[in-house]
Amino acid sequence: MKRSKRFEVLEARPVHEDGFVREWPEVGLVAVNGPNDPKPGIKIENGVVVEMDGIKRSDFDMIDQFIADHAINLEMAEKVAAMDSQELAKMIVDINVPREEIIALTTAMTPAKICEVVGYMNVVEMMMALQKMRCRRTPSNQCHVTSVRDNPVQIAADAAEAAIRGFDEMETTVGIVRYAPFNALALLVGAQTGRGGVLTQCALEEATELQLGMKGLTSYAETISVYGTENVFVDGDDTPWSKSFLASAYASRGLKMRFTSGTGAEVQMGYAEGKSMLYLEAKCVYVTKGAGVQGLQNGSISCIGVPGAVPGGIRAVLAENLIAAMLDLEVASGNDQTFSHSPFRRTARTMMQFLPGTDFIFSGYSAVPNYDNMFAGSNFDAEDYDDYLALQRDLVVDGGLRPVTEDEVIAVRNKAARALQAVFRELGLPPITDEEVEAATYAHGSDDMPERNVVEDLKAAQELFTGPITGLDVVKALAKNNFTDVAINVLEMLKQRVSGDYLHTSAIIDSNFVVQSAVNDANDYAGPGTGYRLTGKRWEEIKDIPFAIRPEEIGQ
Amino acid sequence: MVDKNALEQIVREVLKSLQETEPKAGGNPQANNDRGLDPARDYPLATKRPDLVRTPTGKGLDEITLDKVLKGEVTPQDVRITAETLRMQAEIAEKVGRPQFARNLRRAAELTQVPDDRILAIYRALRPHRSTKEELLAIADELESKYNAKANAALVREAAEVYERRGLLRIA
Amino acid sequence: MQVDEKLVRQIVEEVLSGMGQGTAAPKLETAGAGPVSGVDFTELGIAEQGTKADEVVIGLGPAFGVYQVKTIKGIPHAAVLRELIAGIEEEGVAARVIRVKHTSDVAFIAHTAAKLSGSGIGIGIQSRGTTVIHQKDLDPLSNLELFPQCPLLVLETYRAIGRNAAQYAKGGSPKPVPVENDQMARPKYQAVAAVLHIKETEHVEKNAKPVELKVTFK
Repeated sequence: MKRSKRFEVLEARPVHEDGFVREWPEVGLVAVNGPNDPKPGIKIENGVVVEMDGIKRSDFDMIDQFIADHAINLEMAEKVAAMDSQELAKMIVDINVPREEIIALTTAMTPAKICEVVGYMNVVEMMMALQKMRCRRTPSNQCHVTSVRDNPVQIAADAAEAAIRGFDEMETTVGIVRYAPFNALALLVGAQTGRGGVLTQCALEEATELQLGMKGLTSYAETISVYGTENVFVDGDDTPWSKSFLASAYASRGLKMRFTSGTGAEVQMGYAEGKSMLYLEAKCVYVTKGAGVQGLQNGSISCIGVPGAVPGGIRAVLAENLIAAMLDLEVASGNDQTFSHSPFRRTARTMMQFLPGTDFIFSGYSAVPNYDNMFAGSNFDAEDYDDYLALQRDLVVDGGLRPVTEDEVIAVRNKAARALQAVFRELGLPPITDEEVEAATYAHGSDDMPERNVVEDLKAAQELFTGPITGLDVVKALAKNNFTDVAINVLEMLKQRVSGDYLHTSAIIDSNFVVQSAVNDANDYAGPGTGYRLTGKRWEEIKDIPFAIRPEEIGQ
Repeated sequence: MVDKNALEQIVREVLKSLQETEPKAGGNPQANNDRGLDPARDYPLATKRPDLVRTPTGKGLDEITLDKVLKGEVTPQDVRITAETLRMQAEIAEKVGRPQFARNLRRAAELTQVPDDRILAIYRALRPHRSTKEELLAIADELESKYNAKANAALVREAAEVYERRGLLRIA
Repeated sequence: MQVDEKLVRQIVEEVLSGMGQGTAAPKLETAGAGPVSGVDFTELGIAEQGTKADEVVIGLGPAFGVYQVKTIKGIPHAAVLRELIAGIEEEGVAARVIRVKHTSDVAFIAHTAAKLSGSGIGIGIQSRGTTVIHQKDLDPLSNLELFPQCPLLVLETYRAIGRNAAQYAKGGSPKPVPVENDQMARPKYQAVAAVLHIKETEHVEKNAKPVELKVTFK
């Protein structure tokens, strides 16, 4: 065929690099309304669910049973099941029906019912609903801080910079698992150098992640994955009961935690049972609710390429965030993985959470260039900072970030790198050279960092993990080397576990170490002029991007 | 169309039932003593009611200072949460309408007594295909008798039943 | 619905053949032998617990080399397996190959291999190419080295993975194979990877024990 020049141009566009796939409903490669999605319904006898969404109790798999016995507020369940789903959808979008009243209804729905209800909404209605239903009044943001070479000095510097840029939570992970204790330590020291009160975590295998928390090197956990089919849950090496126990284990040590799930995981892992991605994700949200966990990271997360490839997939991703908020859970709403080669698709996907606001719009924004992002890249990265600041300023939306100057960034990166250098020296870890400190101060990514002795680092990291060192030793090491302010910040983070205030739904910690959660900063949105408004000092801050020209200087 | 009055009534009932929710099987009845906490007045405890918060060694929050850390007067035991504090947080969770979350915090209160290593071992034993039914029931008994962790024991017993029915026990 | 498995299979095959064209010819000379055109597997019965401390067990996914014959990148499974084995043997360690049938999850495939390995070190590989080096006393979802982004794995990587596994088996602490990271692999390949995984999972036999394989390269 003689090629059309128009088509040749179109095919060269970035969107053609994306892997679009047609639906294959029989295996669950479909965003909503899978062929095996059940019809809503519930039957209760003597306080026990005997049938849910068309499945009899004797046929419940472990997930059905867990949801039926733990996740649904049964007092209202039959009444809500009898209500018209379209009417329920209207109430959820209606600014005149308060959030509190909606929560009473939504927490009594079955998974199939809640899917039917959100099924009536288009994305604008879902955003309206999310604005009202998110738990915390003030929106916030989380970032990733990782290094393709697991370079601890770089991680500390990037964490410090990310903290002054406004992130309230930071997540790291590893290229090589055995580096984990170093990454967690570097993130902790860096974040607390930037701003006291930032929550930090290190994503790892579940048991290892808990051990790092117990040692005081992390302050919360998030990668506690749950799945929507029994087979995949078991492949994830857990059950709703083991995960519930794990949730209580975290709380028993005063550590905040949330679960993680997302559309596409089950089909990605090969066992979707012909059910839609959204229905299976709804079941994950209910498992989270039933386990008594305060919140959930969802929004497809690492499987975004799967819903992203099928029709309506990105709407389904917004719907899953909304379902989590409807069950009164904290939502860390994805946007944390590369999703498309097309800048248009990337931005449109993020607007779904950015505009209404969520507890954490990204879970996480890559605070490093994507080549260093060990979650395999985020939807926005360090190279997009100024675009993001412009979006906040254009639309008068609080996306959680603030403009910074080059001077302050250089200064805080240098301080974090020196603080970590001192901690490494004090704890007898492989030395951090002045050359590394200098490189980290001015670095963009790991390409700008000198190489470390990986074998030596791994040996020391393992000893750190199995040895007696805890967060208190980090406090001492910092104080002895005149990083008194950072030492106090790390100590304050350890103290947070004594009071347990930050265990509550949607908790973040402000720079005075006061917890702001859905208890004392509850979302009170009720239409125009209510709820969180970007005004006053915060708007002045967001407005003031350093790269805007001053009119008085033009022509001078 | 939904009858607005009927709906209002439904919602009121639910709100009422949520506030009255008793911990179900798995809740710890003796722990449900209401301390009279008011979320609006008393939360966050660290700033509003520091008088109520103690470390496992009996220290107050204001006694955890850098100075004392450097003198070696603060140990890892001092930066842990107590069962009592977790039960206060559970009470707050109940009063803001989060019964499942409150139950989790009450289970956590029980687990404060269980050592780190044992917690990790029990978690691993609860993973699929790791334990026989007898092993799980023995863990439940241990939780109940040794640590007075009744809610956690109930959770493990429930798991043992489900694992048996769904073929998730260790094939011995 | 106008879409069926046949259509998706067709699309996947088209995508894969498209990928193959862009790929440089595999450098087979590094394997020290002529090019392989294929591989035959003979099942020798249930895989035994190894006793020799100087072996690494390679666990193949249920469809590897049989129902699927190349990785997501279009590299023939025969060549991949030969590189893994060559890497292990280069270090003076013996390679033993098993097929894991009860799971298609790469972590569990690798952990199964590690548990059967006399050295406690195993490698797990899925048909799409995703690979893990595992050790028997680690948690199943932990690992020594993980190579999650299968589209980035080339023959040299597989050889290096074999070498490192062998060094772990000898009690060494090798420098990990450099971790590849292409943040745009997901949007391009993830849905295709999911389809390949579904097709691997179709061959899972939940209660089947791992079997010992005799491997003959052609």
